Parts: sequence; structure tokens; C-alpha cells
Amino acid sequence: MSRFILPLLAVCLFFLEPVFSLFSPIDISGMEFTLVPRFVIIYLIFLAVYYNQKRAILLGLVLGLLYDMYHIDIIGVYTFLYPLVCYLGALLIRQVHRHIVTVMFLSVVLIVLLELLSYFFASLIALTSISMEEFIIRRLVPTMIANAIFIGMFGWLFKKLMTGRGLQKQAGS
Amino acid sequence: MPRFFSNKRLILLLVGVIVLVALISFSLKDRRNATIPEQIVKDVVGFGQSLFSKPAHYITGTIEKIDGILNTYEENKQLKARLQEYASNQAELADVKAENKRLKELIGKTDDMRAYDPIQATVISRNPDQWEEKVIVDRGSKSGVQLDMAVTTAKGLVGKVVNVTTSTSTIELLSTENRNFRVAAVIPGETSVFGLIEGYDPDRRELIMKRIDSSFEVKVGMKVESSGLGGIFPKGLYIGEVTEVSTDDYGLTKLAYIRPAADFSMLDHVMIAKRKTETYKGTDTESSTEEQGDDES
Repeated sequence: MSRFILPLLAVCLFFLEPVFSLFSPIDISGMEFTLVPRFVIIYLIFLAVYYNQKRAILLGLVLGLLYDMYHIDIIGVYTFLYPLVCYLGALLIRQVHRHIVTVMFLSVVLIVLLELLSYFFASLIALTSISMEEFIIRRLVPTMIANAIFIGMFGWLFKKLMTGRGLQKQAGS
Repeated sequence: MPRFFSNKRLILLLVGVIVLVALISFSLKDRRNATIPEQIVKDVVGFGQSLFSKPAHYITGTIEKIDGILNTYEENKQLKARLQEYASNQAELADVKAENKRLKELIGKTDDMRAYDPIQATVISRNPDQWEEKVIVDRGSKSGVQLDMAVTTAKGLVGKVVNVTTSTSTIELLSTENRNFRVAAVIPGETSVFGLIEGYDPDRRELIMKRIDSSFEVKVGMKVESSGLGGIFPKGLYIGEVTEVSTDDYGLTKLAYIRPAADFSMLDHVMIAKRKTETYKGTDTESSTEEQGDDES
């Protein structure tokens, strides 16, 4: 049973993302800010760092494909971006100490990277026409803050769960 | 050469990129009609999604109710003041309706573009990366939803259906940046003013109504509704109010900014309007010029 917990949690987060995006865009003193929930990729980065890189990439591929088919209707965008970000996360964490704070910081950086890549893609195929400046103020910064709050709240839990699961696996084998 | 091919990772990456580019270009070509695997995925994920969304709507609904109770006293006072006005309006409306019906029978007109069957639907998700303004609802072709149908809330028009599967459908909101999104609109009055809603100004958060004949007088504060002339939308769905009038880029026609009546964030329950009269493909359909080209070939 416990072997299904990690993928199951990823699927739960996948379903929670669009529920939270129903609240966006939020309106603060006449300015509209877009918050993009990136819960799945945060979870996958933690998975790549604390559990198993290959698992994370595979899960990223599957969830990215579902995301593309269900929400975007363009297959291939997040199917590519999710595994790429997982791979980069695992690659970068080898260079630094695997402390929880550095992992949290790394996830925020990678979310910024993901947002930038998705912005470039969206402007490439003319889904959006907003300027870089507007993108940073209206979208990137609010998204970063919102997701940083999420990481701060659940990062510990993810770490505890994954390292616990990793130990269990080692003991079992 | 053998050394290059031994680099498994590089080959994998190259093949991956080629497959992805092919997939992206394939799915960009025809985004309105989902292929069968896509439809299955949408139905299955949509079912799972509704398990998560419906409790969430319940919670936000409860919070709104509590919020409503707190304002009850103030609201009650205001409503009482308007109640009398309402009663007289009601009587007048019934009278006008009856007369309208009699006159229609007199001239033998049975078709009515205003008539539509509403399909109630619950919004189960909004596109999380919000580059496109799309929401997904839990009603599909099984309930009679078809492409390009109008979608409204109690406040007014919000968008139209752009993708249908058996039990879900995707709705593109009016606040989209998609230029092929057109709605045939009318400003009713002594002389009806016709135009097309084309585009959205994200800075002003207002819709742009274009191609209004310059001989018509358009004033700030006039109400705008769908004209039903596009072929698929029913007539008389309220869209919004004119806030500014100017001329278009070439100075030939007028252009009006319209503040939409509906709120595009926090959508929960919507109504899909299925027109009772015969429907045609027209301006309400996306990129009609392209489709004509396809038909000829």
C-alpha cells in the first residue's frame, strides 16, 4: 500500500492545481495579478532530490502528458518541461549541500525557470501578447510568492515523507 | 562515428525533441476537435477533477452564504425599497409578453431566436497555466452540448464552447486574447446598432466592439447584447455596457469599449445556451474564413 502513496500524492496535487487557479486572477487595488499554482512540479523536484531521480522524471512525463491533453490541448509542452525541470533539479542539487533550505530555494528558482520557458513558448505561438515587463510584474512575481508560501508550508512534510519512504525501501530490499 | 552513437543519452534527447516538435505541430493544427485518445483522457481526468472541485465549490459556497448572512439587514432594507417598483414592472412585463405573443400569432411567426434550452453545468477546473482563458465544465455531448454554443452566467455572457467530449466541455472565456473569437452583438434601441465583439483589452479589462456603422449614434451607458445573427448564439444574451466610443484605426467605422457584466474570475455555475431555432455556421464560430477554405478543398 505504502508504495502507492508517493504517486498518489502527485495525482492529488495535479487535481488540486486547477481548483486553486479558479481563484486567480486576483484583484488588488485595480491591478490584476495572475497566480499560477505549480504544486505538481514542486512535488516532483522534491521527489527528484530526496527519493529517486528516474521515478521523478517518469512521473513528470506522465503528469505532463495528462496536463497537456486535459488543459492545454497542445501535446508536448509540459510533457517536455516537467521532466526537464526534474532533471535539472537533480543535477543542481549534486553541486550543493542537500539541506532543506537549499532545496526550497532551488524549487523557487526552478519554478521561475519553468514560468519563463512557458512564457517564451506562449509568446512564440502567439497565445499571449503581453510584454516581458508586464509578465514579470503581473505574473512571475505573484506566482513566485504564492508558490514559495506553498513550499514553506509543505516542504518539510514532503521531505519527511520521501526520506521515510526511501529508508523503508532500503530496509525492505 | 561509433563514439557518437554510443552516447545513448544524446540520441534519446534528439529523438525526444523531434517527437515533441512533431506532437506540438500536430496538436496545434486542429485544436477544436479532440482525437479519440484525447477525448478519453479528458473524460477520465474530468471525472477525477470533479471529485476535487465539487467539495471546493461547496466550501466557497458556504463561506459566501455566511458572508451573505452578515449583510442581510442592509440588503433587506434596500430590497424592500425596490419591491414596489418590481411589482409594477412585473405587471407591465406580463402585459407586454402577452401582447408580443398575440402579435406573433397574428403574423404567423413561430421561430424565435431568443428561445433557448439552458443546460446547467458546473465549472470543474480553470486552465492552471493561465495563458489561455479556458475553463472546463462537467457537461458534454451526452447532455447535448455542441461546439460554439453560448455560455452565460446569471449576470451575462461569459464565453463559448470550443471543445466537446462525451462528459466534459472546454469553454473559452470572452476575456481571451484570441483574435478569432467573435460574437455578433447588438445595441438595442429605436434603431438597433449592430457590430462584432472582437478582442479584449487586458489593461482596461473591457471588451472591444468593432465594425459599428459610423452613421449610428452610440452613447456611453448603452446596453449591449448578443444579436443572434451569428448563427449559433441565441438573441438577447446580455453582454455589458458601453464605456467609451471612438473610431477604429482606419476611421471608417466606430469602435466601442464594453464593460462586461459577467465576472470572469471565480466562476462556479454556468449555463450553456442551446438555441431552439436552426443554427448556422457564422461569425460566432471560430476562424470562419479558414473553415470555408477547408470546405472548398
